[in-house]
Amino acid sequence: MQIQDPRERRRIVSLTPLIDVVFILLFFFMLASTFVQWRSIDLGLTSPEGASASVEGAILVRVHSGGLDLNGRPVALEDLSAAAGRYLERRDGQPVVVQADEGVDLQRLVDVFDRLVAAGAEDLSLQGGTRP
Amino acid sequence: MKLSKPQPRRDTEDYILPLVNIVFLLLIFFLLAGTFKAPDPLEIEPPQSRSEKQAETQGPLTVLLDAQGRLAIDGERLEGEALQQRLAERLAAEEGGVVRLKADAAVDAGRILEVMERLRSAGAQEITLLTALRTG
Repeated sequence: MQIQDPRERRRIVSLTPLIDVVFILLFFFMLASTFVQWRSIDLGLTSPEGASASVEGAILVRVHSGGLDLNGRPVALEDLSAAAGRYLERRDGQPVVVQADEGVDLQRLVDVFDRLVAAGAEDLSLQGGTRP
Repeated sequence: MKLSKPQPRRDTEDYILPLVNIVFLLLIFFLLAGTFKAPDPLEIEPPQSRSEKQAETQGPLTVLLDAQGRLAIDGERLEGEALQQRLAERLAAEEGGVVRLKADAAVDAGRILEVMERLRSAGAQEITLLTALRTG
């Protein structure tokens, strides 16, 4: 009589190919997925001709290579939120115009926008400044 | 003399199963946490902001602007007249004239203003600047 040796029992499904496939899937999802959380800042478009109407009574923030001016007075980026907040308190929905000189990169502009939005600015627009 | 008992040889499966468990967990994490979309034709490192306003990832017209100042729209790089024409076409079909601008953090303000001017002349009324959430 032949008795089967229990040690010789083989698994029906081998694990190794399964793991291979799972690894490949893992790499695919790791490389193909993005985790950037997008945020947005709304900017109004001011036309150069009709600018005077929208600019009237607006808060003017000038961003130049050396720093920031708020309504003509130099201000540090850290103090911008508080300083702009004082102007915005006086009148609700006051437009804020950001004038950017050439040579200023977008990250700096976005930092400025961030602070203005934090101060309660609702009507933001971007304009060209003086050319160097 | 006392000898330690030889350990019974364990099956390789016993070592591999925890590994497979972890890999499965990672797989499910990436499946659920990641979002998928077609890659952009331009490589863009968005500026970071603390803006609370969430941007819709799907939706209206998105204009891409990379660090070298190149423009792309609808997943296609376009220049000059062709771009202007496409913008006008797309904006005519769009209500409200909202354009989303996905620009690189290193783009010069002068170039942004140039692009904004082009968008305005093509009929855009409002621009939504896309930024990434600042981490840390």
